[in-house]
Amino acid sequence: MAIDLKGHDFLLLDGAMGTVLQQRGLKPGGLPELLNFSDPELLKSIYRAYIDAGSQVIYANTFGANALKMKKSGKSVSEIIHTAIRLAKDAADGRAQVALDIGPLGELLEPMGTLTFEEACDLFAEMAEAGEAAGADLAVIETMTDLYEAKAALLAVKEHSGLPVFVTMSFDESGRTFTGCTVASMARTLEGLGADAIGLNCSLGPDRLSPLLKELCASTRLPVIAKPNAGLPDPVDGHYDMGPEDFAAALAPLRGAGVRIFGGCCGTDPEYIRILKAALQKEQAGSTPYKRESFVCTPVKPVSITGIRVIGERVNPTGKKRLQQALRENDLDYILDVAVAQEDAGADLLDVNVGYPGIDEAAMLPAVVKKIQSAVALPLQLDSSNAEALEAALRVYNGKAAVNSVNGKREVLDRILPIVKKYGAAVVGLTLDQNGIPQTADERFAIAKRILDAALSYGIPREDLWIDCLTLTVSAQQEQARETLEAVRRVHDELGLQVVLGVSNISFGLPNRTLVTRTFLTQAMQVGLTLPIINPNQREMMDTVAAFRLLSGEDRECRAYIARETQLETAAPTAPAANMPKAPDLQDAICRGLAQEAAEIAKRKLDEMTELALVEKELIPALDRVGADYEAGRVFLPQLLSAAGAAQSVFEVIKNKMANSGSEMTIRGSLAVATVQGDVHDIGKNIVKTVLENYGYRVYDLGRDVPPERIVDFVQEHALRLVGLSALMTTTLPAMEETTRRLLSLPDPPTVFVGGAVVTPEYAAEIGARYARDARVSVEIAREVFGV
Amino acid sequence: MPSEEKLREILRYLGAAGSGDMQFQQKLAALYEELRQEAPPRQRYRVFPLERTETGLVLTGSSLPPLTGQSAKTLLSESHSVVLLCCTLGAAFERKLRAASARSMELTLLLDACGSALVEEGCDALEQELKERFRGAFLTDRFSPGYGDLPLTLQPEILKALDAARRLGVTVNEQLLMNPTKSVTALIGISDRPQRARIRGCAFCALNETCIYRKGGMHCGD
Repeated sequence: MAIDLKGHDFLLLDGAMGTVLQQRGLKPGGLPELLNFSDPELLKSIYRAYIDAGSQVIYANTFGANALKMKKSGKSVSEIIHTAIRLAKDAADGRAQVALDIGPLGELLEPMGTLTFEEACDLFAEMAEAGEAAGADLAVIETMTDLYEAKAALLAVKEHSGLPVFVTMSFDESGRTFTGCTVASMARTLEGLGADAIGLNCSLGPDRLSPLLKELCASTRLPVIAKPNAGLPDPVDGHYDMGPEDFAAALAPLRGAGVRIFGGCCGTDPEYIRILKAALQKEQAGSTPYKRESFVCTPVKPVSITGIRVIGERVNPTGKKRLQQALRENDLDYILDVAVAQEDAGADLLDVNVGYPGIDEAAMLPAVVKKIQSAVALPLQLDSSNAEALEAALRVYNGKAAVNSVNGKREVLDRILPIVKKYGAAVVGLTLDQNGIPQTADERFAIAKRILDAALSYGIPREDLWIDCLTLTVSAQQEQARETLEAVRRVHDELGLQVVLGVSNISFGLPNRTLVTRTFLTQAMQVGLTLPIINPNQREMMDTVAAFRLLSGEDRECRAYIARETQLETAAPTAPAANMPKAPDLQDAICRGLAQEAAEIAKRKLDEMTELALVEKELIPALDRVGADYEAGRVFLPQLLSAAGAAQSVFEVIKNKMANSGSEMTIRGSLAVATVQGDVHDIGKNIVKTVLENYGYRVYDLGRDVPPERIVDFVQEHALRLVGLSALMTTTLPAMEETTRRLLSLPDPPTVFVGGAVVTPEYAAEIGARYARDARVSVEIAREVFGV
Repeated sequence: MPSEEKLREILRYLGAAGSGDMQFQQKLAALYEELRQEAPPRQRYRVFPLERTETGLVLTGSSLPPLTGQSAKTLLSESHSVVLLCCTLGAAFERKLRAASARSMELTLLLDACGSALVEEGCDALEQELKERFRGAFLTDRFSPGYGDLPLTLQPEILKALDAARRLGVTVNEQLLMNPTKSVTALIGISDRPQRARIRGCAFCALNETCIYRKGGMHCGD
């Protein structure tokens, strides 16, 4: 790359553009990118002022030049970027490098917004291609607050240009971005994805950003960038509270901490850069030691492997009929439930495996990753041997993931490791090869070493390679338990690598399996296992981990152990509280919202009655009862929903039983629900969905912000007779009307029911839809339509 | 812990004014507190001088179109400046809500109500701050786009004037919905004379046709 940071030099960027434009009398409003056409001389004079002040890189006026923001500008992205880069290059005249400036798209990405990751990539790719074609020297992705969006931009620049690329994000004093991203998550994710330099810009002054910059220096091997604001703005006059001297005095000393690239953001001007340059020249360059560690993360959840980290194993269809069924039926909600339960049980990472005959893994794995990441904070270990599925999933994964797995076979290493490297993931290596699983610890160790060499040759750092020494069944090959433990010890001691082990296999075929498994787990942790793959819902296993963490000293002052025991103790009496009589029957348990108890009773009942009878004689009468109480004002919405939650848990018992016996659930009728285009509120829609499901209807949830054509297509494709639409805002009523109109003009139109805060019975009648005041009414409408 | 009044407000959002036993109220209070820790309201405001022109009320130095409606005229009849403000619980709330909705509908609903109450608390806190900063002057009521005839189309302009996308992470879509959803924008007039409450009440509320309290003969302020 053209940017040379060797030796003790620092690199000086520019300061703010907007601030200087205001100083020169430009009125706010309008698109700043149009200045490239309307006032090129003004922009050039600003670039020159920065270069004269010492800027070695200037940011071209392309911050918002993406197709979303430029939609109404009357100009194409390529036209704007070409003009902007050419202007900057003219002004620089070889005295400074010109950066293609890439800011946020202005719309939130999924799951916060509705812009998909792929759409974001495309929008950034268009900018990157135009920037390189126009002659930019580098690309800077800046002012990002969503790590997911930063990843989309970085991938796009790397895939669609050969430009060096800097990425800076905006943090507040809490040490997180607005979207909750931590400094460590940002640093290690972006370094893994191949950024050339990373840093912080905007949001705060150098004084308040300083601790975060130091943390960043310790979290990356890349050059670090600091481009802070001139302090904080005054809300009344808009002036920033740090002058050029104070700014430089607070920022320049960070050279000693290892920051290499400097500049200014909001509130700064060429004078700030001039004084900063002088101050930097007086500072000694220094460094902060890099914290080298095995690490995976999501934006909000950094996980350093500095002790035992439990990998939850439950999202895996092998031997789990209910999960197999969910995969076949594309029931991602169930898969999410499985993930959520493991997070709540204390897992640190989740293994995700969706490989099953008939399932298109390359489509399913990324879909499941997105679904789980929408509601679970834990980092994921993507478990597949399908390279296409792994790449698709790593692409949409938000953060730094792990991949499970490679092994000693050359062709596997050559197929998977390049993908692992490209997305900066950690990877698990199984100690087996074309000859199968070796019988001795020595041979397994040799394979581990071979995998390590291969990983290093692909540029994967050793802390990102985790070795699985493989657990064999002790009842079949008794001597193998010792070999596995010896291999764990050697990989840990001699190679210094993290060790993974799926431990439960050890006890297969034996009575009292848990005892054997947890004893083996303890032995393995003692010799170096750090990443046990277990079922975290099994309390005994998590007990063992908690006790081991305490005895090994990882759990400082026994805090976590004591907190966990206290919590388990208080949570122990899950039965009704002391002042309540014990629920005598299922209907009572449902009505009172006692989910766990209701599920237990349902399990027992299923020994003596059919699934259908349980639904019709117990579940629905209970729901009707609580519904009538709600109607009469005897209970209110939260209680109704807690009863619905209990009914859901009963339904799960039924579904589980049916999946295991291979029978099919009787569906009373199928319908779709959606929040209309433009609207993002989905609580009401979700309530309707839950309640209808409890009554045995199959509900396709099309989500929120759904365009009319998608709803119409889906209804036609599945020949649905009923559709529910929700809107919460007056501004989204037109979308409801449009969707209804199109549904009702179908050849054999379905019944449409509508609801939401702003919907009135009159409005519903006017557009030809049924009015569902609440979820109860939607059940009545469904009963009418389906006759059951 | 939330005040009695706050708790009543949350119950009102739940459509349950006056109901809920002790245990339930304790649960709500704990949840509200948890939310206050994890998704504290963040605010930003800017002050613009107000000019009366032929085309309407102009906020000098902002790109807002002149305000022409009756609500703005009434609210700002004696004001010399206008505070634009935005308060949000941010993405932290949305994340918590998504996590909740994967666990329990009931929890989701309670969280949503607590969020509405908390963002209001954030606005109230900012109003207090403004009262102190502009001691000696008088503030009007807080008034948001979508109420009375103050158009929702102001939403993007207010956010732009506050640089809210960059400063608070608040965006708005084509249908004028803000994201994160627990976000409020408002304007407050600053005057040299004491201000009477002018434009609060059902007549100015967008929900005045569907409001469950009105149907029951009550007001949400009760």
